[in-house]
Amino acid sequence: MASSSGNDDDLTIPRAAINKMIKETLPNVRVANDARELVVNCCTEFIHLISSEANEICNKSEKKTISPEHVIQALESLGFGSYISEVKEVLQECKTVALKRRKASSRLENLGIPEEELLRQQQELFAKARQQQAELAQQEWLQMQQAAQQAQLAAASASASNQAGSSQDEDEEDDI
Amino acid sequence: MAAAEPGVGVAPPAEEPGSGPLCAVPLRLARLPLARVKALVKADPDVSLASQEAVFVLARATELFVETIAKDAYVYAQQGKRKTLQRKDLDNAIEAIDEFAFLEGTLD
Repeated sequence: MASSSGNDDDLTIPRAAINKMIKETLPNVRVANDARELVVNCCTEFIHLISSEANEICNKSEKKTISPEHVIQALESLGFGSYISEVKEVLQECKTVALKRRKASSRLENLGIPEEELLRQQQELFAKARQQQAELAQQEWLQMQQAAQQAQLAAASASASNQAGSSQDEDEEDDI
Repeated sequence: MAAAEPGVGVAPPAEEPGSGPLCAVPLRLARLPLARVKALVKADPDVSLASQEAVFVLARATELFVETIAKDAYVYAQQGKRKTLQRKDLDNAIEAIDEFAFLEGTLD
């Protein structure tokens, strides 16, 4: 559950994500709630542990930002070296995905439509949209006016018939 | 928010590490919400900014950590002939395994 009060110290990995991972690791095993809660908190501790160590390593290098290599070195020095090969695989995929997207966006740029033409098309679309908006606004205004007029007329005839009714009553009384 | 946070960003990775949207990662690999991992890293005032890829590596390592500790704890449940993993199984694993020493005293 996200804390809306914004207290950073209450941050944890969402319970649902942990539950899912536990389920995938230990299918068909029941897990007590307090055990799950402990795993959630252990994750937080793990993240703090690794990022502190990675931070130290980063400070010793000439870099200002913690890099994936710093994290990997931190894992090694804290006894989690067995995680490194899998972590590296996934880092490689991340770089490949980024590379593919960079290639894709440059291919898009070279679609063949010159920039001036694209700009012109854009201006046309904007102008059309503005016109449609204006027409719509005008229609709404007309409808409002008509509705107001009708309301006035209805009110006027209602009060007129009221007056006619009351004068009739008075006459009848006089006759009797 | 919580689990609804996907680990997939759609924008291109920023050139500036640590800023901008998180890089798009293959969905099947990002089970932990990257934004939350990043927030946890940032919560420590002494820690510098981490690049997107660093956050990603840390998230993946955390997933492996969960898998490992769950499996290690389960060994104790099996020894106790139980089918339910309990808190004490985790406590046992934490005590027995050197790498988990940092977890001693972690409360639930």
